[in-house]
Amino acid sequence: MLQKDESAKPWQREAAALVQTLAVGAALALVSQIYNLPGKWTDLIFWWCVVSVPLAWVLRSQAVATAYLIGITVWTIAQAADRGFGFAGGVADVRLRYPLLLAGILPLWPGPELRDRPAAGGRLVLAASALIGLFAVAVYAAAQPLGPSNALPWLALLSAAAVLLFPLDRAGIAEPLACRPQVLFGGLALVIMALIATYEDPARDFVRSVGPALGLGWCWLLLTAVAGFAIIAFRQGRFAVLAVAGLALVPLLAAPLASPQAGGWPVAITYSLVLLATAIALIALEFVGRQGAARIGAALIALLVILRMADADVSLLVKGLAFIVIGSGFLAFNLFITRRRRVDATGGSPA
Amino acid sequence: MRPAIAVFAVAAVAQWFLPLSGIWQHERVLSRGTLVRIECAAPDPYDPLRGRYLAVRPAQSSVSEPEGFPRGGGRVPVWATLEAGDAGLARIKSVSLEPVSGPTVIPLTARSWGTINGTDVIGLEWPFDRLYLKERLAPDADKLVAERRRDGKKTVAEIRLLDGQAVLTDILLDGVSIRELAKQQGK
Repeated sequence: MLQKDESAKPWQREAAALVQTLAVGAALALVSQIYNLPGKWTDLIFWWCVVSVPLAWVLRSQAVATAYLIGITVWTIAQAADRGFGFAGGVADVRLRYPLLLAGILPLWPGPELRDRPAAGGRLVLAASALIGLFAVAVYAAAQPLGPSNALPWLALLSAAAVLLFPLDRAGIAEPLACRPQVLFGGLALVIMALIATYEDPARDFVRSVGPALGLGWCWLLLTAVAGFAIIAFRQGRFAVLAVAGLALVPLLAAPLASPQAGGWPVAITYSLVLLATAIALIALEFVGRQGAARIGAALIALLVILRMADADVSLLVKGLAFIVIGSGFLAFNLFITRRRRVDATGGSPA
Repeated sequence: MRPAIAVFAVAAVAQWFLPLSGIWQHERVLSRGTLVRIECAAPDPYDPLRGRYLAVRPAQSSVSEPEGFPRGGGRVPVWATLEAGDAGLARIKSVSLEPVSGPTVIPLTARSWGTINGTDVIGLEWPFDRLYLKERLAPDADKLVAERRRDGKKTVAEIRLLDGQAVLTDILLDGVSIRELAKQQGK
């Protein structure tokens, strides 16, 4: 297959790489079983990934690359879980190893000539692996051996922001959202965490996590990455992702203002308002001709209103009616946006 | 040589090296390690992917808590020194939170179990928990272990220790390998 190089069909390369990867896994498992070798299943996964990834590089195998990404993510989660459950020894430091393992995919994507891109499925797995892997590293970094951990909420927000803001070239920015799963997953994770923070207790936890997190080297690394990515995004005019990424900064800005004894409601209200502002920004950007996300903005407003309605002390009938009105408004807005985009596409100004 | 072929060659060597190094380490412990026998239980569970095995559960699953053992529910690596006891069966003589060297030192994982009968106790996880057997031998082996246990006889795990590595070599019933006994029973 290597001799054939470009003349080899993709399915031939995939099949060869996959068979050899499975053979390596089977050999490792059988040897450890036959010889009763001590060790954890995570060790097997780790070494299987390490010795298999060169096959993805040389045979340009999407399947092996995908399996590698899943493998390193599972391994990272297992290490973080061990550390999170208070295992004080024998746990690999994933703050160093996960980024290195993730970098193991670089010889394939973007490759030595920096022009190879994963297919749709590969992008999906790569983005999911990066997000889940960074969450796992955050769990690891936040875990205090044999003690409570409280730095995690803000580290998780920063991890999602880093994935969301990951730099793209001009062609990548112009692609539809479905082709940019890192934006979709990172943004979704940030919005979900921000929605959770619109409740009093989680809001307090988010703010309280800032102090312990700032004492961690991993937090400063994430902050540096987010700041660097944000500058690039600003220069590229990616204001919609910047608006969503701003949700990660709310706990940092609120921390100096909130006293340790204060309840979480001021931050919860702030988060509701910032989410509302973010949603309005996503809609407004589209109307001023920038790359926005009017539908997502409208969905966010609808969701916020529904959540606050659910909390409100009003009758079920009123809540039901409000729900119908919100749903109708959301549908009408979507129709309006569809019509507007059609008009723009047939000769209006570019969106 | 093209770079792709060179990378592939290195990967292929690594793919061979990994299992071979495991085998080499295993054989090294077998040939040079100190032989230790410990009392254990060994029921025969079934793993849908990996088949039948004897689940080796050493009888000594807890000891008194060593000084300075961290409280908080976490799992902590410890180093246990074994000494020969009754009938040549080894028991844990001491447990250290720092690495110690010696021919009968075995690395374990410990967790605080709290206070039992007025003594602070830690639970121990041994570095081996399975002895794989051939599929057709395992049910007979399980039956043998259960019979001997009913008769009040001890099941013994034979391990070898070297440089902090432990290799489980066999399960013995009355000093005879369970593999041999199961083979005879199957005939």
